[in-house]
Amino acid sequence: MASTANKGSRAPGRTALSGKTKQTIATPDGGRVGLAITELSHLGKINLRGGDDILPAVKKHTGCSNLPENNRTVQIGERTLIWLAPDEFLVLCEAGEEAGLHSQLMLDLGKVHAAVTNVTDALCALSLRGQALRKVLAKGCALDLHPSVFTAGMCAQTILSHAAVTLVAVSDDQFTLICRTSFAAYVHDWLMDAGLEYGVSFKG
Amino acid sequence: MLLITCPHCGPREESEFSCGGEAHIARPLAENNLTDAEFADYLFLRDNPKGMFLERWRHAAGCRRWFNMARDTVTHEIVEIYPMGNTPKSKAGKAAHADSWRRDTAAEAAAKPASKSRSKQGG
Ligand SMILES: [Zn+2]
Repeated sequence: MASTANKGSRAPGRTALSGKTKQTIATPDGGRVGLAITELSHLGKINLRGGDDILPAVKKHTGCSNLPENNRTVQIGERTLIWLAPDEFLVLCEAGEEAGLHSQLMLDLGKVHAAVTNVTDALCALSLRGQALRKVLAKGCALDLHPSVFTAGMCAQTILSHAAVTLVAVSDDQFTLICRTSFAAYVHDWLMDAGLEYGVSFKG
Repeated sequence: MLLITCPHCGPREESEFSCGGEAHIARPLAENNLTDAEFADYLFLRDNPKGMFLERWRHAAGCRRWFNMARDTVTHEIVEIYPMGNTPKSKAGKAAHADSWRRDTAAEAAAKPASKSRSKQGG
């Protein structure tokens, strides 16, 4: 896998949503935009499976001194660990760094019972911001998204209008949404429609 | 719609889960010692009780992990959620487990590694 490492993947290329029109549809009364959608193009994503003995390698390469608890994320600088299941995590890293991080983790976890999979292009990440963010998501998601329940630093794998998504609460009014690349266009279209009444924008 | 408490993720909507049917069906070890009718109990026959039922469920859209559930099929009350490989601890769950017709089948007896049940089947 290391031989396919390509630092040049930072270069502009097709992403899941590169064909979508950049547009802002503000509310007619007051011109508000309650939800701003941005694609986190080429954001590095590595699926990591293993028990507690993966921690030294994870700490070395992400700076995270603990594996996240259930439904939690740990963020150090540009790198984020997302809890997915009791022995499964998603590592987010800088665009273009994923191949290098993947081979480093493979090397350092060589003797540990673990699995490291580069899923950067299998998944699409969106940044969602705005006052109406939680109201829009609640239209298609059964999760309790109240800011007192789904607080900053929490994550959940759930269903958004039939599509499997991972939601990460970055702050009260900012989420990262991760879905399969093949579902990205659908999720984008659904969000643009569901967000229309609050004002919505897609900035590419 | 049920609100199911995943042992790992917490309370989630039923649509995130898939039901895996009846729990506690052990594969017979010495299947060649069973008659076709006895093996059919393991392979084909499934319970469909009115009342307490022990089921396997999977959090398909979340952590994708299996677990067991003791659920009343009339009231939809979820009495207990317990890990795979365990038997229920609640009174109603224990009773449902003990009272199941499956406990008396030759297929279940042959699923236990004890030599007693095997030699019995072999005879
Ligand atoms: Zn779960």
